[in-house]
Amino acid sequence: MAIIDDVRAIIAKSLNIPAERLTPETRLDELGAESLDVIEIVFGLEEKFDITIPLKADDASKLTGSGTSGIKDNAGQEMPFSTVGDVAQIVEKLIAAKVPQ
Amino acid sequence: MNRVVVTGIGVVSPIGSTSEKFWSGLVEARSGIGPITTIPTERLNTKIAAEVRDFDPAQHFDPKRQGLLDRFAQFAVVAARAAVQDAKLELIEEIAQQAATIVGNGAGGMNTLDDSFWRLYGQNATRAHPLTIPRLMANAACSQVSMDLGLKGPTFTIASACSSGTHAIGQAFQMVRSGQVPLALAGGTEACITVGTIKGWEALRVMSTDTCRPFSRTRTGLVLGEGAAMFVLEPRERAMARGAPIYAELLGFGMSADANDITAIDPDGAARAMRSALADAKVNGEDIDYVNAHGTGTALNDKGETAALHKAFGASAEHLAVSSSKGVLGHSLGAAGALEFAATALTLHHQIIPPTANFEEADPDCDLDYVPNTARNAPVLTAMSSSFAFGGLNAVLVLGRA
Repeated sequence: MAIIDDVRAIIAKSLNIPAERLTPETRLDELGAESLDVIEIVFGLEEKFDITIPLKADDASKLTGSGTSGIKDNAGQEMPFSTVGDVAQIVEKLIAAKVPQ
Repeated sequence: MNRVVVTGIGVVSPIGSTSEKFWSGLVEARSGIGPITTIPTERLNTKIAAEVRDFDPAQHFDPKRQGLLDRFAQFAVVAARAAVQDAKLELIEEIAQQAATIVGNGAGGMNTLDDSFWRLYGQNATRAHPLTIPRLMANAACSQVSMDLGLKGPTFTIASACSSGTHAIGQAFQMVRSGQVPLALAGGTEACITVGTIKGWEALRVMSTDTCRPFSRTRTGLVLGEGAAMFVLEPRERAMARGAPIYAELLGFGMSADANDITAIDPDGAARAMRSALADAKVNGEDIDYVNAHGTGTALNDKGETAALHKAFGASAEHLAVSSSKGVLGHSLGAAGALEFAATALTLHHQIIPPTANFEEADPDCDLDYVPNTARNAPVLTAMSSSFAFGGLNAVLVLGRA
C-alpha cells in the first residue's frame, strides 16, 4: 500500500469518515479536524511508520488553518500540514530520514 | 449563614513543606522546577518537574502505616496535620464527630498503580501486593486524613482534574457556611510524577521541556508538579471566640461547565464561573485587587484565561493584579487549586502580591498586569483564585482580608 493510502486511512479513522472522501488536496480544517484530532492523527502516523513528529498542541490548534508542522524540508523550510497530501509528504520525508544514506 | 474563615494552612510543596518556606518561595519567585529525581527518565522526553524533594515519609509515619499510604495520601495527611496544628485546633470529640473532610485529587495513587502494573506487565509478576487497591483508590487520601485525625462527619473525594482542590474547598466552604458542619478540613493533593503519567501528558503535546513561563510570549507549555495543601475552615465567630489565627475570610464560590471541548479552555465558561463567584461573594469586579490565575503556561490556556478575565471584569480588568504560581509550583493538577488557594490566603494575610515567575516578555494576547518576576507590596482587600480543568470544569473562589 502506498504511504498516501495509509495516511488517508489513519486520518479517516480519527475523523470517523470514509477514506474515499480524502484526496491529496483535501484540507483537514474542511473536515472539521480540531486540535485533539490532529494530535490523534499524528500519534497514529508515529505508531504506523515508527517515526517521531515533533508537533506541540499549540501548533496543532493552528495547523487546521494554515499552520506548519515543525518539520523542515531539505531546503530548511517549514513543511505545511494543511492537506492530506502535506501530511503524506511529511511522513515520506521522515521515513527517508530513517534510512541510512 | 455563618461567615467562614481560614484558620489553618498546611502545605507540602516543591518549594518547601512549611507554610513559611512555601510563602517565601512564592514571594522570591524561587522555582521548584528542576531535573526529575524520583523516577527513571531514560524513556521520557520530559526530564523536568516540580517535585517535592524534601519529603521523607519515614519522618511522618511508622513503617506499617507508611506501607498503607501512596505518596498522594502521605502528602494529604501531612498537610492536614500541619493545618490543624497551625490553627491551634484541639479536635474535641463533639466537633470531630461532625467535621467534614473533603479532598480534591485528579487521579489517585498513581505511584502504586504504575509500580503494580509494571510488575504485572513488565516483569510478569503473578500477583499484586495486597495493599494495591487500598493505596491507589481515588478516595484513599481523604479516608487517610479522616482516619489520622479522627474526623467522622461528611467525608469524600472530589475529582475534577485541575479544579479538584478548588471544588473541594468550595464545597467545604458551603457546608460550614450553611451550618451543616461545624468545621471542615479541605484541600487537594496529587502525586503523579510517574513514567506512565508523564508519557500520557507527553502524548497530549502540551509539556514544556525547559520551564513554565505563564503569560509570557515565550511560554512553551506546562510542567507537572506535585504536592498538597489542606485547610481548616470554621465559622468566624467560633474562630474569634477561641482566639484562632485567621488568615482570610471565604466570601464566595462559583462553578461552571463549558460543555464544549474536552481539553481547550472556553473563555465564556471560565468567565461565568468568575461572575458566579463574585455574585456569591456579593462583591463587584472592581473590588477585586488580586487574581491568582490558573496560568498553566500553555499558549491556549493563558490566552483563553486572559480573554475570560476581560469578559468577567470588563473595563476593571486592566486594574487587576494577576499572577500565576505555576512558574514556581509547576502544575500539580488536583492539588493546584489548593496550593494556589494557600497562596491567595497568604497574599491577603501578608499584603504582598506574589509574582509570576519566569516571565520574559509580554504577549499581545495576554495584555493584563501579571506582576512579572518581582513581588509587590500592595493593599489587597479582596482576591480571587481560579481553576479551569480538562473536561471544561471551572471553579473559582473569592476571599477577603480577615
